[in-house]
Amino acid sequence: MSIRRQELSSKQLALILLLPSILIILCVVIGPLVFAFYLSFFKAEPIIGGISTKFIGISNYIYYFLKDPLFWSAVRVTTYFTVVSLVIELILGISMALVLNKSFIGRSFVRSIILLPWALPTVVNARMWEWIYAGSSFGALNGLMKVLHIFPADYDKVWLGFDVPLQNIPLIGNFMEWVGASTALNMIILADTWKVTPLVTLLVLAALQTFPDSLYEAAGIDGASSWSQFWNITLPLLRPVLLVVLVLRTMELFRVFDIIYILMQYSIRVVGVYTFETGMKFLNFGRGSALSFLVGLFILGIALIYVRVLYSEET
Amino acid sequence: MKKFILVLLMVGVLLVSGAFTALAAEEINVIYMAQAAYQPNEVRDMADLFEELSGIKVNLEFVRYDEQHEKVVSSAVAPIPTYDVFSLDLIWTAEFASKGFCVALDDYMSPAVKEDIAPAIMDAFVFDGKTWAMPFLANFQLFFYNIDMIKKAGFDAAPKTLEEMVEQMEAIKAKGICKYPWTDSWNQKEGLTCEYVWLTGAFGGDTFDKDAKPIFNTGPGLKALEFMVMLLDKELASPKSLTNDEPAARDDFIAGNAAFTSNWTFQYGSMNDPSISKVVGAGKMGLLPVAKDVLGKYTYDTASVSGFQGAAILANSKNKEAAWKYVRFITSPIVQRAYLTEMPVWTSVQTSAYAKTMDPVIDIKAKEIASVHHRPKVPPYPEVSSILQRYIHSALTGKMEPKAALDKAKTEIEAVMGL
Repeated sequence: MSIRRQELSSKQLALILLLPSILIILCVVIGPLVFAFYLSFFKAEPIIGGISTKFIGISNYIYYFLKDPLFWSAVRVTTYFTVVSLVIELILGISMALVLNKSFIGRSFVRSIILLPWALPTVVNARMWEWIYAGSSFGALNGLMKVLHIFPADYDKVWLGFDVPLQNIPLIGNFMEWVGASTALNMIILADTWKVTPLVTLLVLAALQTFPDSLYEAAGIDGASSWSQFWNITLPLLRPVLLVVLVLRTMELFRVFDIIYILMQYSIRVVGVYTFETGMKFLNFGRGSALSFLVGLFILGIALIYVRVLYSEET
Repeated sequence: MKKFILVLLMVGVLLVSGAFTALAAEEINVIYMAQAAYQPNEVRDMADLFEELSGIKVNLEFVRYDEQHEKVVSSAVAPIPTYDVFSLDLIWTAEFASKGFCVALDDYMSPAVKEDIAPAIMDAFVFDGKTWAMPFLANFQLFFYNIDMIKKAGFDAAPKTLEEMVEQMEAIKAKGICKYPWTDSWNQKEGLTCEYVWLTGAFGGDTFDKDAKPIFNTGPGLKALEFMVMLLDKELASPKSLTNDEPAARDDFIAGNAAFTSNWTFQYGSMNDPSISKVVGAGKMGLLPVAKDVLGKYTYDTASVSGFQGAAILANSKNKEAAWKYVRFITSPIVQRAYLTEMPVWTSVQTSAYAKTMDPVIDIKAKEIASVHHRPKVPPYPEVSSILQRYIHSALTGKMEPKAALDKAKTEIEAVMGL
């Protein structure tokens, strides 16, 4: 009996203990994933009691690449959202981490309070900013602008509007219109950045704390300015954590759905919103599945580029 | 280990058998979208009364309008549906009927029922010659105007035609009474399609013909869009209209920022509520104006858009008889008479002396509801409407010419419909 128990406590036991999680993952992750991949080769529509399917090969994918003008405009606007958000998040996140890495009075308090936005659920964050951006005199931002006398008392700006930023500057204006930038999108970027920057800060700060002081001391003795210390020591050392941040954030930003859907419904069609609209609103399950795999493909591509650029140089 | 599996099995058996007993009992599940219509407490009240009378238990679930469509779809696709009865927006009629999601109700309805409900209302739920939902709520758009502003501008009454309205708006703007006399809900959402449909009606036509083919890119449809663009170009319509939804447009009007607007029935209540409205007394409700050369075409010289809701039964419901009893009850004249917060669908209730005493504006409403135009009844409606919204909006924001925008919309819609 006791021997048997010992046998069980090795690999077998591990397997038994893992079995429930494996089953759950199979059912709720792998299963649907495989099914969605399967559906992406079909013209699939819901009918009563099930889904009707008609095999059409890779037509769904071809449709998006060659025929659908909305797909590429969705890719452009998503790329704009991703790139602009990433740049702001990285610059803000790294600078905040650098400040928090220095010792000052109340540092631990600031360090913990800075995480608060990150703790908010996205839906709550979106609803909160919806109130702030409200285009009427009830909007908090409009109220603030009036109190500061930046806006006249009878003027209310529509923050979530569709005017193209920098529209009047010749080339930049055209480019902005081409990528699908709008005041609303910029405001959403601001709202999303406010929430996510603390995460970047936290990750970078954790990495910064592992750097030995001796490096900086040596650099100081050699007469390096703080800028060149940052550029030549801190940034290269941060490379692995930046890779993590970049991959993680690009993934999340490229598949953004919630905040844009809550604030704008379908009027800003990033690929996430477009996928949902195609699949769940228009009920084209096949095309919706194809679209979600295309999004996955894009993210994979970007992640590969990051790994190439940031990782290979180091080794 | 064996014992553990045995216990698991037993729990499983208990759960499954429990589920089946629940199904066997007289009980129905209902999903209702809570929006600007009967409120959840009113719907619960109706259900309570029904439970008392019939002994059938009613489980109600309230969701937001945007969630209803998906919830119904996922329930219809499942072998055992989550819901038996659902509230159906008229724009889903063709889609759900063509996919076989709901039960045709013609066999349940007596001829008397069909006689007492105006064809304009009943037609909204007819597709392929069959009726797929019982009319429950009759929402539609009405004309709202600020009589004080009109009088200050030197006119004595609300405009009867669109041309008169433009004249009044120009005077109002010129005299500085109001910066943007027109406000509306023209953001890129379903509301935009609704506004466009009634305006197309006001210019004497429909967006789709009788054979469900798009015809909006010429004649009335084109005039309607050109009219909207003209209002924006002349700065008669507020630029905020482009981002307003219906509640936002209402807020504009009741804050006294506009002289005219079109909106759903719910605006009447807000307009006369002194705690939120600055236009109590000045804000009036009337019939939507039509173009001058359309006068005489319609019985009441007005055009509106329908936003009806029906009560429908899911085709895979295991409890269709009980479901019908419930549908019949909540849509019955006697219940509608008790809840006059919404426009009753029954002619006999609309014209009853009781309703006329309880609702002084029911006459206007009855005329407007008889003049509604429906949004296109085509199976891929969500996609069709989304295309329309996109191109109309790009014309409104000046990115495309109205004719070019509508031509492109037509081409894309034909591709989606396989025409």
